[in-house]
Amino acid sequence: MKALIPLLVILVISACRDEEITRVRVPKEDAPVVAAPAAPEASQALHWDTPAGWKELPGTGMRLATMIPPGPGKAEATVVALPGDVGGELANVNRWRGQIGLPAFDEKGLAKSRTKTSSKAGPVTVYDFTSDGTKKTRVVAGTLSSKGRIWFFKLTGDADAVAAARAGFLTMLEGIHAAH
Amino acid sequence: MPRTESKLVEILSSLKLAIFCFVLLMILVVACTLAQVQLGTFLAVEKYIRSFLVWWTPEGAPFSLPVFPGGGLVGGVLLINLVMAQFLRLERSWRKAGLWIVHLGLALLFIGEFGTALFQVESRIPIEEGHTRDWSEDYRKMELAVIDSSDAMFDDVRAIPESILMSKREVMDPSLPFKLMIRGYHENAELLMRTATDAPSPATAGMGTGVKLRGLPVVTVDDAENTAALLVEPVTPDGKSYGVFLLSNALGAPQGFAHEGKSWRLALRNRRYYLPFSLTLKDFRHDVYPGTDIPKNFSSLVRLKDAAAADDRDVLISMNDPLRHGGRTFYQASFGKDDTLSVLQVVRNPSWTLPYLSCLMVALGLIWHFGASLKKSLKRPA
Repeated sequence: MKALIPLLVILVISACRDEEITRVRVPKEDAPVVAAPAAPEASQALHWDTPAGWKELPGTGMRLATMIPPGPGKAEATVVALPGDVGGELANVNRWRGQIGLPAFDEKGLAKSRTKTSSKAGPVTVYDFTSDGTKKTRVVAGTLSSKGRIWFFKLTGDADAVAAARAGFLTMLEGIHAAH
Repeated sequence: MPRTESKLVEILSSLKLAIFCFVLLMILVVACTLAQVQLGTFLAVEKYIRSFLVWWTPEGAPFSLPVFPGGGLVGGVLLINLVMAQFLRLERSWRKAGLWIVHLGLALLFIGEFGTALFQVESRIPIEEGHTRDWSEDYRKMELAVIDSSDAMFDDVRAIPESILMSKREVMDPSLPFKLMIRGYHENAELLMRTATDAPSPATAGMGTGVKLRGLPVVTVDDAENTAALLVEPVTPDGKSYGVFLLSNALGAPQGFAHEGKSWRLALRNRRYYLPFSLTLKDFRHDVYPGTDIPKNFSSLVRLKDAAAADDRDVLISMNDPLRHGGRTFYQASFGKDDTLSVLQVVRNPSWTLPYLSCLMVALGLIWHFGASLKKSLKRPA
């Protein structure tokens, strides 16, 4: 019987071993981690054609791209992709409405304001809201679900500037396509 | 021998106990198989097979109750039973040598499973064609990487395991010039873009200030991945804070700060295991049967470079032909990126040879035993 005690002690000690902080010096990586569900992989990525004359800035933070349309007034288009349903359609729409000072929608209001357009990567749901007040702001947003991610394409800014850029933005949405 | 001890020895070495344990194991296997639907393979095996007790949590209760012996306990009792029966009951003679070998082989099988449960580490290497990797990543565990990226050629990485992030509020390491205050950790979470009407973000630095965080139940089913999120605040010994960073494996952008002239990056990522050698993916093949999309073969042609072992060669890893090197086995597991990315499963199991040795011993023992019986019956007059 006593001969079994060391075996049990080894098993218990092994099972309770703690994990420790490790330190390693490694060459700088040649590329980002490819399997992490962070930025979309190339096979998951979507592509779009920036409208002619628009200035494209590199992505920062959560933004994959920022585009500035030409012309007077302030407006910018952004692209963000996040995994999952990102809170659901209603929550996202109400977030955009809240950003321009509009009250939140319920499901009925959501359905009324929803329009659809098609792209090579699938259907794009489009919303278009303009704020109240003398200095109006406007948001035109397209969402597209692709391979477990929701892609947000949003054009926002002064109502006049957004109105001038809207056609180019919608053409861009229709031209979204998957990577090959 | 005192009476109680002799009674205990009798029970522990009895055939009845062995049969009882086999029945328990059968029940565990059935329960584990059924549980895989909800829990996924890994967690079901951990809960029913690689545990000493199976725990059950009543709905809504903050506690759990042990309801059944786990595979570890049953296996341990069976191992003790096997060893004791062998030494106390089995006749020590050449006539019974076959049964001795069979019993030793079975004991080795149990020891091998304990070794696997305790020491096996599974990870993966996602690698693109033309790229080189000298690390694999755990797909269930996370780590906080604190990286001194000041050097132009090398990164100095401190990796803090997920178990520490979950259990401690303050992490200090002698090699770090600051401590890390853990302000919150979610094994699974949803990241939402914060709106003006939302409460202020708990993050005060980096890109997390624009993100709203919502904790989610952990998912364990196969093919599902958790989005982990960590709120961490680097604080210097004199109390200066660099702000609270929100880190997540779902946020790709680098985050960090400068301290005493050095550039520090913070990343929450899948736990990494660095290898003492490297693999370069030269070519990934996804062959299909002609005229169809039905897969015929997946294979990765890799260049293995191990300076310490003076090993530099091409190796073809395919579905049933893994690479074994440096105590690890590399299997072809998955692929992606239009067939330009290969994912290799890496298994490090110091006791991987024991099941093979065990099966060999059991087979030899049975041949010996039945061979001896056959020989005896042939000698008997008709």
